[in-house]
Parts: sequence; structure tokens; C-alpha cells
Amino acid sequence: MKDSDIKVLSEPKLSLGDQFYLPQVLIGLGTTMKHMFKVLSGTDRVIQYPEERREDLPIDKGGMLLRTYRGVHRLNKDEEGRVKCVACFMCSTACPARCIHIEAAESPWQDREKYPQKFDIDELRCIYCGMCEEACPVDAIELTHEYDIVGLTRQEMIFDKTKLLQIFDETIKDEPM
Amino acid sequence: MFYAIYHFLCEYPWILIALVAHGTILGAVAYLILLERKTASWVQDRIGPNRVGPYGLLQPIADGIKFIVKEDYRPAGVDKVLFTIAPGLMVLCIIVSIAVLPWGGIHRVTHDFDVTGKADPVAAALHDVPGVAIAGTVQTPQIIQQSGKTIARVTYDYPFQASDVNIGVLFILAVLSLAVYGVVLGGWASNNKYSFLGGLRATAQMVSYEIPLGLSVLCIVIQYGTLDLGQIVEKQATYWGHIIPAWNVFAQPATFFMFLTCIHAEANRAPFDMAEAEQELVGGYHTEYSAMRFALFFLGEYAGMVTTSVVCVALFFGGWHVPWLDKLFPALSGNVVAGRPAITTSFIVCLIRSVVIFTKTIVIIFVFMWVRWSLPRFRFDQLMMLAWRALIPMSLGLLLMTATVVWIFGPNDRAFMRIGGRMGLVLLFGNIMVVAVSMLLSKLLPPPPLTNRRVRVLGSRFNNLVPAR
Repeated sequence: MKDSDIKVLSEPKLSLGDQFYLPQVLIGLGTTMKHMFKVLSGTDRVIQYPEERREDLPIDKGGMLLRTYRGVHRLNKDEEGRVKCVACFMCSTACPARCIHIEAAESPWQDREKYPQKFDIDELRCIYCGMCEEACPVDAIELTHEYDIVGLTRQEMIFDKTKLLQIFDETIKDEPM
Repeated sequence: MFYAIYHFLCEYPWILIALVAHGTILGAVAYLILLERKTASWVQDRIGPNRVGPYGLLQPIADGIKFIVKEDYRPAGVDKVLFTIAPGLMVLCIIVSIAVLPWGGIHRVTHDFDVTGKADPVAAALHDVPGVAIAGTVQTPQIIQQSGKTIARVTYDYPFQASDVNIGVLFILAVLSLAVYGVVLGGWASNNKYSFLGGLRATAQMVSYEIPLGLSVLCIVIQYGTLDLGQIVEKQATYWGHIIPAWNVFAQPATFFMFLTCIHAEANRAPFDMAEAEQELVGGYHTEYSAMRFALFFLGEYAGMVTTSVVCVALFFGGWHVPWLDKLFPALSGNVVAGRPAITTSFIVCLIRSVVIFTKTIVIIFVFMWVRWSLPRFRFDQLMMLAWRALIPMSLGLLLMTATVVWIFGPNDRAFMRIGGRMGLVLLFGNIMVVAVSMLLSKLLPPPPLTNRRVRVLGSRFNNLVPAR
């Protein structure tokens, strides 16, 4: 690199308070003291997560609107308790993260040709964009409001059909189709 | 058995004081770490540890158990001997320095000695008076005949501290500056470049900050003409014009700020924690340490903070003196000798004084933590610049000013009143003048050398000999 290519920046000018350092130190200490008072008086502090949840708080207090939240997926069931999915691959095609893996098979039922024999979603790859939900022609895949999903291994976080149908059973009461 | 121990401790109270003082400080360290974590959280709008016990109060115990049961891992290639003794050395120095801290002034006791059948009861009683009694305070024994026994009643004073060293300030400075050996040896023995860098930085920093620290302490020493911490405290236990407590922080604010800055550097605390510097040195000198050895380093750091804070309280905040308490409730001050506020006949008053000095210490320690979580760390050249271009000249100026003031006002026989009245005001004025003059001079001085940001390192993009690939 040539010397002419190097852009030499000069340091910003220091004010008198900056130069003697102590005034600025005291201002800084004042700022942190303000924060300490805020926390100790309980007016402003972080949420204690497992006990306090954002969905329980009003929006202006840092709460979140659960209605529009995109959490973990579920596979919807129809009235007869069968999986609604027709294995059309629309969701896995639309998926920008390529996290949906479907293996289709011939449907055992009369009302459709195919059904998913396997339906795996890698919840670690998923970016929760909701494109699958938009793409689905039969409203079979939906994003729920659940966000606190955990697993001890990566394998555990690849949700299969059983798991996704189970999530449907667990969330259908709070979030109807 | 228990009575024998009780009797022994009554007989030798300084052993009790030493045990309690060391126990309290070393135990308090665990809770200081909790306080540190709490302070950090409050500053960052968090709540802090609150899972173990109410308000997280059992967290230090959980931490302690963790430290004890963890594997004591020693990496390959370390210097085994130095690696082992380094944490111990640091803690040892700190523990030794705790011994001379003044806790509760002077306790005057009247003790009965059984001298039945002694040829010379007075000499026998005086022989039994413990060695810590302050020389010259042992009064001639009263001989009492009581139910067939000869009893000699002796009144003597002893200082309410583990060890009364009449050069206390000097001793603490000397011992605390030895504590840096722990840091340096730990860094050297770890066989790790980050640890080594941490140790090197600690050395340079300690050497630089010892000077202004010593000079600012010297101001106080000159002012009172004594190196005895207990006497320095006693001389502050009075008032300016019966209203303002004659604490040094009011007479010598600039010296106090100098001292406070230097003990931050001495205790290796942010913004001077160059030896640790988590972000750049992965923990610095204690990178390779784990389990109890690491805990010892932590213990040393926090106990050192307590010691320096107690010294700060003793030098600048009047030690055990509670302002206006002795005016409002004369009984609580335990004052028995006119003009000697330190002497008290009550053991309870001594205990109250210890609690007071400890409370003030906690406040200073809180300031340490508050500063740590507010200020960013200095760069190394800034650190050195601050010491050599700002603190050392200013503390020299303060020393010159104090010496001149003391020379003008002359040695005062009523030494404990020395700060009261005119001299205190003159010192305050002198402090302000020194700061103002140094501000003025800093404008006239040539600017510091520019930091060289374009070192031509071989192979770097700034080197025109070897083209960068």
C-alpha cells in the first residue's frame, strides 16, 4: 500500500473538561448512578424472563403482540384427526432457509392423492419468516405463538410429523385455525 | 475449657481483635463479590443474582463450594513452584496488612492482678501488664487487700487493633506493594503470553502508581507529623468551628482524589485493570488458574481493596469518627480524657467504632465498584501518561504546598487540633490553588508525544520493505 493511499485521521479536539478528565468522569458516574436508582426503584429494568413474559406485559411497557408473533410450526389436522397436508411441496419450495423436508406417499384416504409420509422441519435452520404458512394451499402448516422451544441436541430440534401434530394438539385451544 | 478460652481472650483482647478482623474481612470478600455483581447489574439495568437464596444472598456460598470442588488444573509447562506460591504470596501480603488497621481507637482498661504472696506486689503487677499496653499509659497499681488476697489494680491503655505499629502507614504501603509479586509471578509462571503480558503491565503500573500514592500519603503524614494510623484518625475526630468534622477530605480534597485514583491502580481495579484486561488479555495473569488457586487471587484482590479502603477511611474520612454523634450523645463517644477522643473505657464503644469504620469502608468499596462499571479502561500509554504527566507533578505540588503550610504554622503542641481552625482552611485553599496552577501550567506545557499509530512492523501493511500479501 502506498503512503498516498493511507488516510490519516486526526484525533478529535478535546474540550477543557475532557482534558482534565475528572469532570467527564463525574458526569459518567452520574449516568450510571441514574441507572442504579432506576433499577432499585423498580421503574426500569430488564424482564425476569421465566417468571415475567413479554406477552403478559402491555405493549407500551415493552410487551409483545402475540397475535402477530411467528413461533414454532404446527401441522394442522382436519375434523377426522388426519393430517391436513397434501404433500404438495409448496412450503418447502417457498422456504428460504430450506428447512422443510417432505417425503410424499400415496394417500390412504379417498379425498386426496398424496399425503406426507415424513414431514421434518429443522427448527434450528428455520428463520421463522412465515413463507410456508403463506404458501400452503390447504392451510396445513401454521406458525404458532410458542417461542420457548428447547432441546439438548441438534437432532432433537429437527421436528418430525408426530411432533408437529402434537404441537397442533397442544396449541389448538389457544390458537384456533 | 470454654471458660479458659474466654478468659484467655479477655486477657489478650488483641488476639480476639485479630481473629475477628481477619475473619470478617476474608468472609466479607465473598459478599463483596456478590455486591460487585449486584452493582454491575444495577448499572446495566439488570437485577443480578437472585436465584440462590433470598436476593441471591447464598450465591457466595454456592460460588465457594464450586471453587473448592472444582478440579485444580495445572497446565503443562508451568513453573510448578512459582505457579503454586504466587496466589498464596498475594493473599499473604494482604492478610499481613490487615493486622495494622485501626479499628476502634484506644481502650482503657482497669485490670486486677492477683499478687498474693509476691515480695514486691507493685513490680509483680507491672510485670503482668501485657506488652501491648501503650508505653507511658500504665498507671501505678493500687494495692487492695480483699478477702485474704492481695490484688493490684492497674489501669492501662491498649490500642483496639490487632497490632499497633507506630509506622502503620509505611507498613501498609510496603506490604501492599509486595502484593504485586503475586501478580507478576503468577503471570510469569503460567507459561502463557497473555498471562506474561498481564504480569508485565502490572509491574509497570505498580511502579508508576506507587509514587503518587506515596506522595499523597506523605501530605497527610507531614500534616499530622505521625505515621501512626490510629493517631491520624484521632486527630480528625474534632470539628472546624464546631460544625464541620475536621476530616481530611474537607481540608485536602485534591490529595484525596489523588489517593483514590492511586488505590484504584494499586488494587488493580478498573479503569486501571491493565493486568487483567479481560477483553485483550483473556483474564491476564490468572488466565491459567482455576479452582481454589484462582479463588485465592480473587480473595487477594478484594481483600486488598478492603485494606486500601480502610486506609482511605482512616486517612481522609476520620476513621471511627461519626460526625456530631459525640456532640448529640456524649455518652456514646466514650470520651473519658479531655482532648483525647480516642481513649474510651467502654468495650462496647470500641465495637461500635469498628462497625462505623467498616461501614465507611463499604461505602468506599462501593465507589470502587461504581467506578469500575462506569469508566472504560485506559490504554497503556494513557495510563502511564496519567501517572507521569499528571498525578506525580500534581502530588509533588500538593506535598510542597502542605509542607509549606505546616512550616508556616509551625509544630503545634495541641497536635490533635492541628487541622481545626485556620490551618484547615489554608490547606483547602492550597489544594484548590495547586489544582488551578497545574491546570494553567498544563496549557503552557508542550503537548505529549503523539502516539505512533503507524509502526512499520515487518510484514504489516505499513511496512514498505516487504509488500503485504
